[in-house]
Order: sequence, then structure tokens, then C-alpha cells
Amino acid sequence: MKKLLILLVSIFFLTGSAWAKTIKIGVAGPFTGPLASFGEQLKIGATMKAAEVNAAGGINGNKVEPVFMDELCDPKEAATVGTKLANDKNISIVIGHLCSSSTLAALPIYRSAKLPAISPTSTNVSIGKMSPYYFRNVYRDDFQGLFLAQYIKKVKNFKKVAIFYEVNDYSMGLMSAFMKEALKLKINILGTEAYTNETTDFKPQLTKFKMMRPDAIFVPGYHPQALLIASQAASLGIKAKMFGADGLDNPTMLDNPDTDGLFVTTPFLVESAGPAAKSFIAKHRKDRGEDPGWMTANTYDAFGMAVQAIKAVGENRVKIRDYLAGINSKENGYDGVTGLTYFDGNGDCLKSAYVKEIKDGKWISAQQMQ
Amino acid sequence: MENLLEMSSLFLQQLVNGITLGGVYALIAVGYTMVYGVIQLINFAHGEIYMFGAFLAFAMVTVFNVPFFMAAILSIIICACFGIVLDIIAYRPLRKAPRLAALITAIGMSLFLQNLALMIWGGEIQSYPREALPAFFYQEAIAFGDVTITWIQVFILLVTVIFMATLHFIIHRTAVGTAMRAISQDKTTAALMGINVNRVISFTFALGSGLGAVAGILVGLYYNAIFHMMGFIMGVKAFAAAVLGGIGSVPGAMLGGGLLGVAEALGAGYLSSAYRDGISYGVMILIILFKPSGLIGRSTTERV
Repeated sequence: MKKLLILLVSIFFLTGSAWAKTIKIGVAGPFTGPLASFGEQLKIGATMKAAEVNAAGGINGNKVEPVFMDELCDPKEAATVGTKLANDKNISIVIGHLCSSSTLAALPIYRSAKLPAISPTSTNVSIGKMSPYYFRNVYRDDFQGLFLAQYIKKVKNFKKVAIFYEVNDYSMGLMSAFMKEALKLKINILGTEAYTNETTDFKPQLTKFKMMRPDAIFVPGYHPQALLIASQAASLGIKAKMFGADGLDNPTMLDNPDTDGLFVTTPFLVESAGPAAKSFIAKHRKDRGEDPGWMTANTYDAFGMAVQAIKAVGENRVKIRDYLAGINSKENGYDGVTGLTYFDGNGDCLKSAYVKEIKDGKWISAQQMQ
Repeated sequence: MENLLEMSSLFLQQLVNGITLGGVYALIAVGYTMVYGVIQLINFAHGEIYMFGAFLAFAMVTVFNVPFFMAAILSIIICACFGIVLDIIAYRPLRKAPRLAALITAIGMSLFLQNLALMIWGGEIQSYPREALPAFFYQEAIAFGDVTITWIQVFILLVTVIFMATLHFIIHRTAVGTAMRAISQDKTTAALMGINVNRVISFTFALGSGLGAVAGILVGLYYNAIFHMMGFIMGVKAFAAAVLGGIGSVPGAMLGGGLLGVAEALGAGYLSSAYRDGISYGVMILIILFKPSGLIGRSTTERV
């Protein structure tokens, strides 16, 4: 027992003394609450990358450590968390936030504190234009909405669609992008209905949809509500297909057989991932017994970009921002597990979208659009 | 013609949805109204007992593999006891204190129980696995044209009617019911007549909490969504239903619950689904403006 203690203490001192100091990177998202399973993916991605960086000697001999800040995807909480991070002198860059509404709430705080941030997941269109300090390594909803409209026209040949959206920045932005393209492609939008994140009874709206007889129902929201919508739609005898976007891409969607056949767009698909992702996917499978989700992959890359920036220019907020803004072409793009990332003048980036669907209780790669 | 048929079946389906929802509101609303009747307290923690009812049944089914109906009965009994304990711990010491003190305690208990559930079960929405429930729940009971009534809706209505009838019988035909009505009229005189006031209040809490648990279990089944905030949202709505019917009046709570459910379903179906909660509260505000004592309540309310 005593020997073990001595061993542990000496290990502690050995590892502890190896680092010159600890560099902290803020990671903000919903680590508790209804969307905690999204936050979990953020956590896994950041932890994996940090462990890898440290195993390879850290950032110029310094240990890197993600600091997780929980904001429940609630814009009010996001503003509080954002202020804390902005006032913390040890934080020189933030990875997050996860939900678009939270990112939009924290954005002005980071802008005035000159604190750069990379959101791995927020897809709302307006984010990039609003701050020179905000970057993201995920596509925007105008692209995602357009992609979905083209996909259902070309691959699925749906003609009549009803839309069931949540009252928030992400869902409404995605819906309007989808509708714009659907109009061009002459897809008939039968009607739109709304819900809030507190809604659990979707039957009145679904009943209306049932009478409209759509080919499919588009749910541009998040997975907790989508799961309920699928099961309540089934109980009303609605046979229309359901589809959504990255907000529905979550393992919890598999809990209920009513989601069978549902398909979504996603920025990262294990089957379509490039060679750079091989070891990342293998490590995730080995550690957790499952394939990585897209949020894990995007966070892994965002964290990697943050590390690369600090390595290059040190812990100065403005210098890090300028460094990130300089990643602006194919030639100097960041080659990560989600492909090549480089930013345009707004800090946005162009990434491909993939489609996956639920079949027999599993997420599988769907037919992709050529 | 076909259009007319479609419109009427849409209306019928919304009505069925609304009545089912209304039945659940009524079950919770009687819990508020009975407690208000005997001790003039708005028991804000009532919604949380409803939530615990749903969670306990869910936990027994999913963790301990208890058959569903058994789990439901156990959960109702536990919640009834829970109601009694809640009264003894939180409200009884304040019986003689100003009413505001007890009200604030009630809000405190509500927050405490919400956070307790958050600690135990986490913040994610939980759903019953399909195979844990009797298969008939998900089958269609009646389907004509586009109108579908599932067995679970029939089950909810049936359970609501049975429990309401039993409640009516208890209040009007049993000794303890008579005692409850006596206390609601005059607590001191009732005590002088030899009624054990505290015991009757405990009984009232048990009855209300048991019915709350029934509602929680039914809603957990119906929407297949069990989460720590479900009691708060539903509690506020059921409270609105109790006020709508006339707080303190049991038939009023039943009527108020039914009306609110239908108003909400039709409002969401025909007006705007984004503002459905606003619609149901709007109805409540209008009634309070024009008939402050509620639909059935009189100025000298017959309480309990």
C-alpha cells in the first residue's frame, strides 16, 4: 500500500514537473440539460485532441487543457458564460458555442473583449458577418437548406412538403433557406407550423399536417423534440417521411422505432471521411465502442486549429485572430479529419454536406447526391 | 364536399386531442383546488409531484422491469405518501403563519423537487422503450376517415372519468369527504365538532397527490416524454384550469381542465401554433376579467 502511494506520488511529480505551464482553451456548450448529448460530443472531441497534443509534447512544451463551460444551449446562460470567459485572462480562444442562439448571444461579448472563437457547430447564417472574431469550421444554414431542397427533389423526388420548425435562430434560418430553394425547384410547401423547446404536445399541428397529405415533413429543429414528433406522428397514423438537418443527427434518435426512414444532412460521415480521419475514427471506436459523431469530429478539428494558432503566435488574443483570419486559401488550409478547412472574409467556410438515414435502429450512410 | 368532410374531420381530430389533454389538466387541477379548499394554499409543488409520479413509474418499468400497471399503482401510492410528507415537512409548521409564507415555501419546494429530479435523472427527455409497455397502447381503437383515436387516448379518458367519479363519491358520500367539506367551510368549528383537522388535511394531500401521479403517468405515456421540467409547465396550466373553473371548486376544476385542453388544441390547430400557450392563458385572463370567481365558483365558494 505504502509502495503504491509512493509510486503514485512520484508519477504525479514526474508528470507534473514535465510541463512548463498549462494553456487553457475555453469550450462552451450544453453539458447538462436537454441537449447534453450534443455537449458530450463537444467534450469528447476537445478531450481527444488535447490528449493527443499533450502526448506529442504539448504546445511548445506547455500542457493544453480544455476548460468546459456549461450553458445548456440557453442564450441567457451563454451570455453569462461568455462574460466569464472574456474576463478570464488565461483564456485566449474559445471553442463554441454549440447552438446558434447561444453563439449569437455570446458573440458581442467576445467581439468587445477581442476574444477569438471558433464554433464547430453553429450554422446560423448571420454569425460570421457580425464579428471579425468569430470563425466556424461548419457550413452555414443557407448552404444546408439549399442542399436539402435539392436533395429531396433530385434523389427523393418529393413534391409536397410540410415544415415543422422550432422558434429559434437555427431552425428559422434553416427553414427560410430551404423554402427559398424549394420555391425555385417548384417543391410545393403545403404549410408551416411552429413549436417551442418547451412543447411536448405536437398533435394539434401534426393533425393539420395529416390532412394536407404531404410526401414528407421537414423538421429543422433539434433531436429531443424531433423524437417526440416522430412518435406522435406515428400514433396519429401519419405515413409521410420525416427529414431534418444536423440538429437531428444524434444517437438518441434511435431510441424509438418510429424514426425509421428519417434522414438528415450532416457535415461529417465516417463512410465518406478522408484518409486523415482514419486514425481518429479508429481511436474513437477503440475508446468508446462507436463511430464518432459529426460534432466530435468538428470539435476535434476546431480544437486542433486553436492549438496550431497558439503554437504559431502565442497566447495573444488579437494575434490568434489574425492568424486564423490568415487561413484563407486551399494552400494554407487546416487539413483535419473533416477535410480541408479555410475561412472566407467573414470567418465562414465551405464544407461538403452528406446525408445519413435511420434504418433498423442504426444511422447509416444514405444515397448521396452527385 | 370533400373539402367539407376534410374540415370536419380535422375539427373532430383536434377535439379528440383537446379532450384527452383536458382530462389530464382536470386530474391535476383537482389537486390544486382540493388543497386550496381545505387550507387556502396554492400548492405550487403539486406539479412536481405529478412529475415524480411519471418518473417513478418510468424508473420502475425501465430499471427494475416491473410490469407497467403494477409500476403505475406503486407510483400512485408512493406519491400519495409523498404528498402527506410534503405537507408535514413544509406546510404544517406554517399553518398559523401568514399565507404568503406558506406560498413562498411552496415555490421553494417546487424548485427543490425540480432540481432533485434533475440530479437523479438528468436533464434529457426520457421515453419508455416500446417493448416495456402493453402493445395495445399504440394501436388504433377507432379510425374513420382521417380521424384516429388510439387506445391510449381511450385509456386516458376512461381513467380520468373513473377517478373523477370516485373522487366525487369520496367527497360527497363518505365520512372523510364530509369532514373535508366541513373544514373548507370553517376549520375551527370543524375541529370543535371532533374532526381531526390535520388528519383530514393529510388525506386531502394524499388524494390530490395520488391523482397528480395518475396524470403524470398518463402524460408520460401519451407524449412519451418524461423530463424534470414537465411538472412546472403542466402545473401552471392546471393551475390556470383550476382558476378558470373557480379555485376551491372540484367540479369547476374538472370543467376548467376540459375547456383549457380543448381551447389549447383548437387554438394551436386553427390560430397559431407558435403562441398556443398564450392562447390558453388568454382564455384564463378573459374569464378572470369578466367572472373573477371562475366559471362555477360563487362568491361564497363551496370549497373542496
